[in-house]
Order: sequence, then C-alpha cells, then structure tokens
Amino acid sequence: MFRTSNILKLFAILFNNSSYKNYFLENNNFEVRKIEDRIIEAYIGEYASGKSENAVNRAVELREQGRKVTLVDLDLVEPFYTLRPIKKQLEELGIDVVAWETRETMGLGEAGSIIKPAMKWVLRREHDIILDIGYGVEGAKTFNLIEGAAENKDLKIFAIVNTSRPLTASVEDIVEYIRGLGKVDGLINNTHLGDETDWEVIEEGAKIASEVSKELGIPVIYTAADEKLKDIGITTDKQGFPVKYIHRYMPLSFW
Amino acid sequence: MTEKPIQGEKRVFMTGNEVVAWAALAADAEIMYGYPITPQNEIMHYWTRLAPKHGRRFLQTEDEISAGFTTVGGVLAGRRAFTATAGPGNTLMQEALSMAEMMRIPIVQVVTQRGGPSTATVIYSQQEVTMTCFGGNGEGARIVYSTSTHQELYDYTIKAFNTAWKYRFPTHVLGDGYQSKMRESLTMYDPQARGIDMVPTEPSLGNEGTPGVDREPNHLRNTYNTEDELYDVVTNIMSDWEKYAPEIAEYQEYDVEDADVLVIAHGVVTRAAQAAVKELRAQGKKVGHFRPVTLRPIAEEQLRKRVEQAKSVLVVESAYGQLRKILDNAIYGLTTPITNFFKPGEGVTADEVVEEVNKLL
Repeated sequence: MFRTSNILKLFAILFNNSSYKNYFLENNNFEVRKIEDRIIEAYIGEYASGKSENAVNRAVELREQGRKVTLVDLDLVEPFYTLRPIKKQLEELGIDVVAWETRETMGLGEAGSIIKPAMKWVLRREHDIILDIGYGVEGAKTFNLIEGAAENKDLKIFAIVNTSRPLTASVEDIVEYIRGLGKVDGLINNTHLGDETDWEVIEEGAKIASEVSKELGIPVIYTAADEKLKDIGITTDKQGFPVKYIHRYMPLSFW
Repeated sequence: MTEKPIQGEKRVFMTGNEVVAWAALAADAEIMYGYPITPQNEIMHYWTRLAPKHGRRFLQTEDEISAGFTTVGGVLAGRRAFTATAGPGNTLMQEALSMAEMMRIPIVQVVTQRGGPSTATVIYSQQEVTMTCFGGNGEGARIVYSTSTHQELYDYTIKAFNTAWKYRFPTHVLGDGYQSKMRESLTMYDPQARGIDMVPTEPSLGNEGTPGVDREPNHLRNTYNTEDELYDVVTNIMSDWEKYAPEIAEYQEYDVEDADVLVIAHGVVTRAAQAAVKELRAQGKKVGHFRPVTLRPIAEEQLRKRVEQAKSVLVVESAYGQLRKILDNAIYGLTTPITNFFKPGEGVTADEVVEEVNKLL
C-alpha cells in the first residue's frame, strides 16, 4: 500500500528539481503550488494615499498571470472609497473579492462596516491574498483583527506614499508616519495630482521616497504611474525604481 | 511666532475635509471646538494632527450643543475660533448659532451636509440648507457659502473668517459628504501672499481697564426684559443685514445671456449643471446655469434678472425643495415656469440634468 508520507517524499523530490517545478507550475496552473509561492501582500498608508488603487491593480495583475487571487477590503472605517462599488467588475475578472455588498450593509448605519468573518479568517485561504487596509495608522491596527497576521511570515506589508498630500510631503513627515504604521516591508511611490499628474510630479515623489527608503532601510518596491502616461515609454524613474503603470479603478467607485 | 503653515503656494491633492483643516490653519484660526460626526470627522482628525505643530488648539466637547457654545465663548475671548459638524450635530448647534446671531458673535461653522431628516445617512445630501440658513429661533442673519470644489472649500473657509469678523454675523461654509470625501487637486496658499489680510480679532470680554471708568462697559446679553427692547435690537440687526447683504452676496453664471432654459443649482450639484450646460451648448441648445454661491444672502437682483429672461427654469438639488424655497422668496412675482428636479440624499449627474433640460426644450 502506498503511504501518504511516500507521496509527500515523491513531491518533495519533484519540487526540489527546478525544471520539474516549473513544468509543474506551468501545466498545473496554481492548483499544486507550494505554500511559499503564495503572494500575500497588504497595502497600507495615509488616508487617500492610493492604497485601494494599488491593491486592486496588484490583484488584477496577478489574476492576469493566471494566478488565483483573493482581494480583501479591510477599509473598515471609510464607507466611500471601499471596493464595494467595483466588486462585481473585479469578480468578473475572476478575482475573489471579500468585501461588503451594499445590500448586506443595510441597517449598519453610522456604526460603519463591521468585520466579516471571511475577513477575519482570510489568511487561512490558499493561493494569493491582497489586503487593502484602509485609514492610515488606525487602519493599520486592523491587522490585530485578522487571525494569523502577526505570525504570518509570508505577509508583506507595503506602505503607499503620495507626496502631493501635505501631511506626507516631506522626508521627515513620511519617516515619522511610516514608523507609526508598525511593520513595513516596502514603500510604493504613488505620488500624483489626480488628472494633473505629470512626470515632474512623479519624479519629485520618487526622490523623496528614495530618501525615506535610505533613512528607514526599507526598499522602494516601485513607482506607480497612471497608464495614461505610458506613451512616453518610461520603465524606470530617475531614482532607478521600476515604474508600474496602473489603471484607475477607484474613480468608478464614487457617484 | 511659529512658522507659517503654508509658504507661498503649493499644488496639492487632498480630500475636502483635509482642505478645511489646512484652510483654517492658513487663515490663522487659533482654536477648533468640535464633537465627532460623519462625514465631518477628518476635519477634526487633521486639525488635531496639524494644530500642535503650529501652536493652535483643539477642544473636544461632550456634544454639539457644547461645541457650539464653546466656539461662541472662544470668539467672545477674542479668538479666531471655528467648529464643524453635520446633520443632527448641526441641529444641536442651532441654539448657539441663534445666540451668535443675536449677539453678533462672528463664529465660523463648517457644515458637511449628510442625509436627513434626523440621523438618516452619513453620506451626502443638500438637506441642511434650510437649517444652516434659517435654523434656530432667529431671523436668519447668517452668511452661508455653498462650495462646490476643493479650491472653493479652501478659499471660502479662509474668507468665512474674514466675512464673520468684518460683518459680525455667524458665517457658514456649507459643504457636503461628497465634497468631504472626494479627492482632487487644489492650490493651497498663504492668504497674505495673495494680498488677503486676515481681519483682526478682538475680545468682547476681559478687555483692559475698568468698565465704566476707563472704558464703556461691554454689555453682552441675549435676554431682553421687554418686547420693545427686543424689537429695537432685532430691527437693528436686520437693518444691518439688509444693508450689507448686497455686498456679501455672490453668484456665478454660465451661458445665461441668451438662455431659454435656466438651470439653478448650488454646491456640488453645480458641477453637474455646469457639465450639462457645456454639453447642451455644444449641441446648439440655449441653456444656461445660475449658481448662487451665497445661499444667505442670495444674490436677489441678479437672480431675478436671469429668471425673468428665461422661458423656463429647472431647479436641481439633492434635497426636496430647500433651495427652491429660497429662490421662490427671492423671485416672488415673476411668472417664468419652474420645474423641480429633486433628489434628496442622492447625487445628481450631468446626464440627468441634460435629460431634464431636454424635456423642457
């Protein structure tokens, strides 16, 4: 009789051989992916810094790579810029969205949005998980509500910074702010001025992000730019950070 | 003296509530009194983050009744003081606001309208028009600026302090939950760098010298013994009000000169009206838009002129006729037919305005 442990040994041999591993991943899609291949990322930062926008874009990006993704809306304080209004659109792309639906919030009133059980236990899910954590320093405390967040070694926490926002405009202010957020694994330069954004604005943000990065010893993961600016063909900003073009989904979630 | 919070000018990207906090800072506001309520909260949140860095102060009171009266107290002590609230909080503040009307206390109140009546929704509406303009047991001697963009939130919050201290009427910046939460860019500036001097403040209580000996006593009261005495006081207040109203009133016009249909809207809804007019004009349709910036006092003369010129008027608001009542009062006697497009508690889109206008053409 074939024992389970033997099967596991066989898998271990297969996975330790990288060509086998790649073959496996390519041909079995995500179904037998090893646990360390999971991507678990949380996007945090100052109120209105662009957390949701970057989280949504990341989820879509992973989904387009054929990966299975759960996107979690953990913006528990702010009822406006949550993912709720674009939930259906994202689900149609094949993303599993854990967020409230308008009809479910009937009667919650001013108490706002309470955490869903599916949110509390979301790290028990398999595959990729993108967490959109709302509302600045207070929002960052949301991690306390998620089972296993403190112990989870795979969880990467990225802080989003838009230096066009006066409270996070200077190196000094950003450093102080990021320190208040707790554990942060990477910075994302999301500097913009809405429709008026140009490269000068973005580069200025990148420069500030670079200085913050040096001071805190936290790497800058990428510089985000609206896909409308893609034509010029910039792939790396002047600080050497990769540029990631994002689609703006969030304006749809308002009005 | 602490450094100026804003040096020169700076293009920034913010939510409306943050804009208000920064504008109050730029206007040299010294203290904010308040009690939390959605969608106003971030005005307090940002003020409490900014204030300590710039030597300003904040007091969270036990409710909005107290927030209103402490603001009155701050102003009586000569402080450039303000408060912010919404919905039921605004209701509770009305007693203090009536007192400010009666005693000519220049308090500044920022209102971020939410849905009503009562607790209703935390989101949005234009249902605090009547209350902000006419609340309490007074005659409505209040100045109300209805803003529509973040730039205006900034400009008019600064202006509100000067209007209040210049004319000594309670002054209100009437925003709404959408403006509070919306994100857009604006230019922040040091008022002085643009030639705007802040009207100096002065205490009504605790002045130097012995009252009656060194100076006239400040006899501050909101209680009068006889009807005749009250009559004189209120008549004087309203006489000042009528005198200053024409110079305080503000409005904007879009393509009104030859407009057959005149769209009237205020606050954030003007954005939909402006976009609709632009679209309809591109189709060659004679449509214009009149936007009262001050709801109290309203620019009566100009409004009457435009309504009289038009063949038809469309009143658009996120309330059930609160703007309409103010308009009716101002245009009494004119016979231009008026159609209502009322959406209490809901936003209005340009497409909806276009559709309504097309029904009238």
